[in-house]
Amino acid sequence: HFGFQTVSEEEKGEKVYQVFENVAKKYDIMNDSMSLGIHRVWKDVLVHKMNPYPGTLLLDVAGGTGDIAFRFINYVRSMRERQLQRKLKHHQNLSWQEIADSYQEEAVKPLGDSQVVVCDINKEMLKVGRQKAQHLGYSEGLSWVVGNAEELPFDDDKFDVYTIAFGIRNVTHIDLALQEAYRVLKPGGRFLCLEFSQVNNPLLSRLYDLYSFQIIPVLGEVIAGDWKSYQYLVESIRRFPPQEEFKAMIEDAGFFKVDYQNLTSGIVAIHSGFKL
Amino acid sequence: SVVRCQLYPPQRAFHASAALRRASDEHKKEPSASSSQQQFDSHPSDRQPEQEHQGPRPSYTGQGGQESEDYESEEQLQHRILTAALEFVPEHGWTAEAIAEGAKTLGLSVAAAGMFHNDGSELILHFVSQCNTKLSELLEQEQKLVQLGETEKKTTDQFLRDAVEARLRMLIPYIEKWPQALSILLLPHNIPSSLNLLTSMIDDIWHYAGDQSTDFNWYTRRAVLTGIYNTTELVMMQDSSPDFEETWRFLENRVADAMNMGNTAKQVQSTGEALVQGLMGAAVTIKNLAGLNQRR
Repeated sequence: HFGFQTVSEEEKGEKVYQVFENVAKKYDIMNDSMSLGIHRVWKDVLVHKMNPYPGTLLLDVAGGTGDIAFRFINYVRSMRERQLQRKLKHHQNLSWQEIADSYQEEAVKPLGDSQVVVCDINKEMLKVGRQKAQHLGYSEGLSWVVGNAEELPFDDDKFDVYTIAFGIRNVTHIDLALQEAYRVLKPGGRFLCLEFSQVNNPLLSRLYDLYSFQIIPVLGEVIAGDWKSYQYLVESIRRFPPQEEFKAMIEDAGFFKVDYQNLTSGIVAIHSGFKL
Repeated sequence: SVVRCQLYPPQRAFHASAALRRASDEHKKEPSASSSQQQFDSHPSDRQPEQEHQGPRPSYTGQGGQESEDYESEEQLQHRILTAALEFVPEHGWTAEAIAEGAKTLGLSVAAAGMFHNDGSELILHFVSQCNTKLSELLEQEQKLVQLGETEKKTTDQFLRDAVEARLRMLIPYIEKWPQALSILLLPHNIPSSLNLLTSMIDDIWHYAGDQSTDFNWYTRRAVLTGIYNTTELVMMQDSSPDFEETWRFLENRVADAMNMGNTAKQVQSTGEALVQGLMGAAVTIKNLAGLNQRR
């Protein structure tokens, strides 16, 4: 499925690539205008749910413009500061030298060995992401890799957390992506997926449909000059399996303790699973 | 591999997983590839099979009823993580960080701490439940010794004092962070579980103390002992005397009070009864005076 069209599998990959190639530069602006800025909250909730411990190695797939990666870095940085403060309070009788040393340590390793690898199939999206990182001043602990979610260029058992935010519905074979996620995660590692899902409130559902099909493609044309890509976006959302079905798919890939949390009445859902 | 399988039966259902297999790999240092044959023959799993190239996994044999075994194993793994996390509590407090460090020692990713609540509730509840189990075992052993005639049967107040002291002593390694734990246990979403654990512990103590009552006394005894336990625990939190002498003295006084209260209670009861009789008599007199009791 490519939105509501039916295309062959090779074609889908190509078409999706073209969509994101076209929208790359305006991706963030479009996100803000379409979701009225709420997508920022959704992404914040995702990282809060992750609650990453310093030293975590994160793989953000289909992470394109780096939204999740930047939030992760901010979160880990503040966690690390708090940890250091707590350590200082714990050892009340440190000498001045020791206190100075620990602040030094914080300056040198502000992230505490945490790292995030942003992986995306689309070079344009990664390019935009890299520019954003430079612009916002994120330099450490960040890498940008081109790769296909169905066939990740990483070894087994590498990452602590695997996230895919608004990316999995664009993958041609979702089950392969889930299996790859399972493969590259360490034992005990966590899979987190933030994706559009089924609205459970019938009134909201009708308003949402109206908004999606009437307003979003128009916004797409006006802001990004691309009606068709946003038509695709809206259709692909409708095509994606609902919460319970997706949960079953995740369990099939071998994850345990799979659960989901609806945000904004089910417009998006965060699915979480563990490799146990 | 055969020996290993026999030694770790509860983990059988989890051989499909990476974590427990990895943990037992670390203990035994055996190559995981050789175990796959063993596992296929004797340990059916109900999880979908992975492709062979992804590594050794047992095949799907489609047996229902394995589901409950799998579910139990998830809990067992969680218990193991929480137990491992306890050693990090003095440093990190009752938090997700302690759980993350605990998971690390088991060879799991720190992300496994995401399985639990962010506020560390499960860790505290796990600890409390472990302490209660230890207390039960202690009391059970004591009872056996008494039955075998090897020790004297204690008086009720001595028994209660010793039981409460033994239970509170288990808090000593974590005493610095325990106030934090108490406040978390009082959060609304934790109250049912923490109350449950508390009442079952108190029940246990009274059971081993030889409490046979089935009447109203059952409730008063529970309430009294719960009061003693809670107040002593709070005193312990800010006791800085050597080996918590002050706390045990406080405990001794409270238990003595409670014993006396038993007598007072009887007195109050009989006074109460007398009072009620008097009131009834007064009521009947008034009715007579008002002419309501006449039978025509």
